[in-house]
Amino acid sequence: MRISKRRADVQALLFLLPFLLVYFLFTIWPMLKGVQMTFYKWTLIKKMKYIGWDNYTRMFQDQDFWASIWHSTLFVILTTPTMIVLAIVLALIANRQSRLQKFYRSVFFLPSVLSVAVISFLGLFIFQPYTGFLNSLLHLIQLLPADREVFWLSELGLSWVALTLITLWWTVGFNFILYLSAMQDIPDDIFEAAKLDGASNSQMFWSITLPYLKPITKTITMLQIIASFKVFLQIYIITGGGPLDKTRPVIQYIFQAGFRKNDLGYAATMSYMLFAILLVLSAFQYWLNNRKEANA
Amino acid sequence: MKWFYRIVSLFAGLLFVTPLIWMLVVSVKKEGMKITSLVDWFTPPYSLAVYDEILRTTKLTNWIWNSFFVAICVTALTVAFAAMAGFVMSKLPFRYKSLVFFVILSGLLIPGEAVIIPLYQVAKDMGILNSYQGLIFPALASPMAVIVLKSFFDGVPNDLLESVQIDGGGTWRIFTSIMIPLTRPALASMAILTFVGSWNNFLWPFLSVTDDRFFTLPMGIPTLMNQYTEDYVKPMVINAIASLPIIVLFVIFERQIVKGVSLSGIKG
Repeated sequence: MRISKRRADVQALLFLLPFLLVYFLFTIWPMLKGVQMTFYKWTLIKKMKYIGWDNYTRMFQDQDFWASIWHSTLFVILTTPTMIVLAIVLALIANRQSRLQKFYRSVFFLPSVLSVAVISFLGLFIFQPYTGFLNSLLHLIQLLPADREVFWLSELGLSWVALTLITLWWTVGFNFILYLSAMQDIPDDIFEAAKLDGASNSQMFWSITLPYLKPITKTITMLQIIASFKVFLQIYIITGGGPLDKTRPVIQYIFQAGFRKNDLGYAATMSYMLFAILLVLSAFQYWLNNRKEANA
Repeated sequence: MKWFYRIVSLFAGLLFVTPLIWMLVVSVKKEGMKITSLVDWFTPPYSLAVYDEILRTTKLTNWIWNSFFVAICVTALTVAFAAMAGFVMSKLPFRYKSLVFFVILSGLLIPGEAVIIPLYQVAKDMGILNSYQGLIFPALASPMAVIVLKSFFDGVPNDLLESVQIDGGGTWRIFTSIMIPLTRPALASMAILTFVGSWNNFLWPFLSVTDDRFFTLPMGIPTLMNQYTEDYVKPMVINAIASLPIIVLFVIFERQIVKGVSLSGIKG
């Protein structure tokens, strides 16, 4: 655009102003404010007391905090590989020529638009013993004897299974869409050439489709790790972090420290630890992506 | 082999809709029926009485309205602010541009969850807890929207802008008569994605609102659920009422939503 320098400066400022204003007020400013809060005993009624590095030393010694970090990490380990494999399978299904193609495309993504509150309560009722959907179904098809119940939400191993399943159902749609559009970008003539050479469907999948999905898989993996690490609400509603706080994720722990135990300074300190972890993960993702471009 | 694929596909498809169908079926059951087997849910008597009761006796309709109001404001303002910012980042040369770009870009790395505790304190200092302003304004700071829209504006050829300038049009006219119309599909995808995100947003309303007049749906649902523990019908009615608007929206705007997701790679 041709425009005089000074006019460009003034106009740019005017155009940027609304966004920069909310961005500074509600992202940058809280971030700086938070640094200050970590050095205080800071409560909801704003009784502040400077305590230096106490919040930090306390955090490093707080076993419940590190347990909650581990729970979030475990959730990442459970959901990331399953989320990727399932997404690829679903994308394969929806990419096949079939009369139901449109149906598949819609239903695999549909749960993603639902509210986390809705899917959590749905999950809660699905996995409920005695009256829940899943146990009733297992009784009906006689996989489970009528006098026995599976306690999905009160046994530790099973509650992780339940949380993983409900999260898969809810959010796999995002990865599914990304894989589907990556699959549609693969040029058709490659498959046709392979068919002429007598390649079978599974050969084509392993040696054409999968290599083509490699770059998007790197991106999805990192996005998924970051998203899963931030898990909170479905666990909070479905298991409440239980049994015995053994599924409590880090965001729930931060929230409880801040608002249940009225210690915003400590909660802010822990959020910065979370921030640091996510930052390292993002930096790793950036490095991965750049390396990919350098290779190409 | 073909049949095997078909059956697996069909099974997967049914698996994904089953929870929703179950939700709808339970929601139209009569209350207080004895459920001894799965089959009981899928057989009459059915009735809509509980829908009527929930809509009349709870604040659910208020909360639906709040959710709509907040989501519409957040969508309109986010897209407007991000489009304006994205436009100058893309097309206008100005001083400190690279610095501004760096500041916006680094915002992508700041997860909302990490600053939410100090954000609470800031909102409290500003006196906007328990208000529509408090629900709306913090949601507008979306660097992601700016970056995505900037990349779309980058695709508009500069010749077009210069032809408007030759006709004597200023920056505002270039923005409204060239940039906006040419990038409408991208703006629409961004708008719908923002709307869905706001409609389902939970964490910030959960912290910042305690007065049930300002609850949004995701906030109100857990509050209501705590009162109904015996029967499944009421909770499922609440779930269904909360989901139907967004499902209808999804059916209408599926193409744009899917496009928005694949363009920005935004996660949950």
